[in-house]
Amino acid sequence: MIKALAAALALSACAAVAAVEGPYSAAGAYTVTLDRQWSDISAVMTQRPRNVRLLSVDGPLLNRLYIASAIEPGQFLVKPARREAPTPIFRADMSETELVEFVIDSVAALGYLRPESRNLRPDLFGGREAVRFEIEAQTPEGLAFSGTALLARAGDRLHLILYLAPTEHYYARLLPHVEQVFASVRFQ
Amino acid sequence: MKRSFLRGAISVFSAAALIAAPAASVAQQSAPLAPPAATAADPPPRPAPARARPDPSTDEGGIWGVADRAEEDARRSAERISDPGLNAYVASIACRVAAEFCGDVRIYLMQRPFYNASMAPNGYMEVWSGLMLRVEDEAQLAFVLGHEIAHYDARHSLETLRAMRGRSNAALAASVAIAVIGAAAAANSPNSAQSIMNAAGGLIDIAYLGALASLFGYSRENETEADAEGFRRIAAAGYDPAAPARQWRLRIDEVAASDFERTRREEARAGVFNTHPLNRDRVQALEALALRAAAVGETGRARYRAAIRPFLDPWLRDELRRRDYGQTLFLIERLASAEEDLGVLLFYRGEAHRLRRGEGDLAHARAAYESAIQHPDAPPLAWRQLGEIYERERRAAEAAALFRAYLDRAPAASDRLLIERRIAALEAQAPPGGTP
Repeated sequence: MIKALAAALALSACAAVAAVEGPYSAAGAYTVTLDRQWSDISAVMTQRPRNVRLLSVDGPLLNRLYIASAIEPGQFLVKPARREAPTPIFRADMSETELVEFVIDSVAALGYLRPESRNLRPDLFGGREAVRFEIEAQTPEGLAFSGTALLARAGDRLHLILYLAPTEHYYARLLPHVEQVFASVRFQ
Repeated sequence: MKRSFLRGAISVFSAAALIAAPAASVAQQSAPLAPPAATAADPPPRPAPARARPDPSTDEGGIWGVADRAEEDARRSAERISDPGLNAYVASIACRVAAEFCGDVRIYLMQRPFYNASMAPNGYMEVWSGLMLRVEDEAQLAFVLGHEIAHYDARHSLETLRAMRGRSNAALAASVAIAVIGAAAAANSPNSAQSIMNAAGGLIDIAYLGALASLFGYSRENETEADAEGFRRIAAAGYDPAAPARQWRLRIDEVAASDFERTRREEARAGVFNTHPLNRDRVQALEALALRAAAVGETGRARYRAAIRPFLDPWLRDELRRRDYGQTLFLIERLASAEEDLGVLLFYRGEAHRLRRGEGDLAHARAAYESAIQHPDAPPLAWRQLGEIYERERRAAEAAALFRAYLDRAPAASDRLLIERRIAALEAQAPPGGTP
């Protein structure tokens, strides 16, 4: 864990990190309003898709908020390390439950163990029909993680906001702010 | 070093061992391994170890110290399979093939969907779920355990360490290992920036495997020796002598079924480490041993299947996340050939086709789900997945009926609200009463 932390800090130090608050554009398709200051640490993702942003308050070890806009068919949320280890890709013909599966399998591709979705329910994403659900997972070291996600299909594209944090203390602490982000989605 | 059953398999622990190998001073930092707290996964009391713990100031004591720390990580890992019954069963097989080391070897079953088992010099062994899913019977697992114990018996790690010193590669080993351990630690923890970038796999493949390859030039002999010793042990224990060769033939066939050309080509190469004999050479050697043995033994197939049956569902779900559907479908066909567990296996056949989404895959998925729900062990999700395919095919009434059947079987389903909404929409298109 200490080595991983050191690696994370070293990498973060080399990357451009910007403080963000208020209106925040998710690569064009929609904006959200951040009711507190977050750090935009998208730069730590090498070759990240241009339409996926990553925010954090305490660093990526403790909370992550992915804001993905208009994911295209064939596109991944998590970059594959190599051809023989592919990560989940979005398909335009996915059903609602397959969209949830895409997110859960992407969480697994990040290295979390046994991710499960909970409490799938209809919701709204900037006024559009959407699906909301919670996530439970573990790290290989046994640390419990919680998450929540809001996703909506827009034609053959996918909009997604995904929040992950350790279950103990960190998840609940930022959840009200994440709820506010979910509620603030406005399409441009 | 931890010796791996699968050529080319790598673990963080292997890298950690390399750090210790050239530096005897590491041994002085190694506290004796504290007795572990009892857990559900701990086996019942065992006989005292046959092998004494080496002096920590020696090179062997050094690699034991590193192995102790890796073992402690394994003991605490969330990937550890804690089921007491399965742990006791596997431990009993190890004791059957190597009674003299029954008190030395500690086996950790890990839920990792890859074909691997490995042995550390201090008696700590890992067996991964991907291997257990592919092993057909108790005789084949006994061979794997016998092979790994042979490494322990012959102190192959120490042999490798001393040979590396002799070749003046120690400094290189240390520098490579130091570089690798950081990458590997990052790669294996989602609590890392590396996991966000998800680039560590590539880093390990290129820098790690490539640099380490030069350090593993000779241990193919050790692997051949371990194969022969593993064979001798299972034959002496009364297991089927043909089991090891069959195991490797199936492994070759599965690799040939991979979706990925690079994976299929692995069989033609010796692998990046060149440490394990080519699989085909291995098969020939094991077949020759079986012919010479000319003995008959038991496979223990029914016992083995009964032991892993409760884990088929979670292990196959992990298997799907490898997204090598060619290999997965090959594996499922093998498992299904015994005409057992067909509800689960046909469901996962359907899942592999549904996720692959190639030409004709959805039709294959539909057929698999339709067959799965005829069997009592089919998971409730089989009804939902078949309903989704019918919904795609605009068979609204049948889809709605299948969704209802799913909810009947899984009343606490986490997606109940979404499914109920879909049922309402489907029933608005077609009157209820369709029979799936």
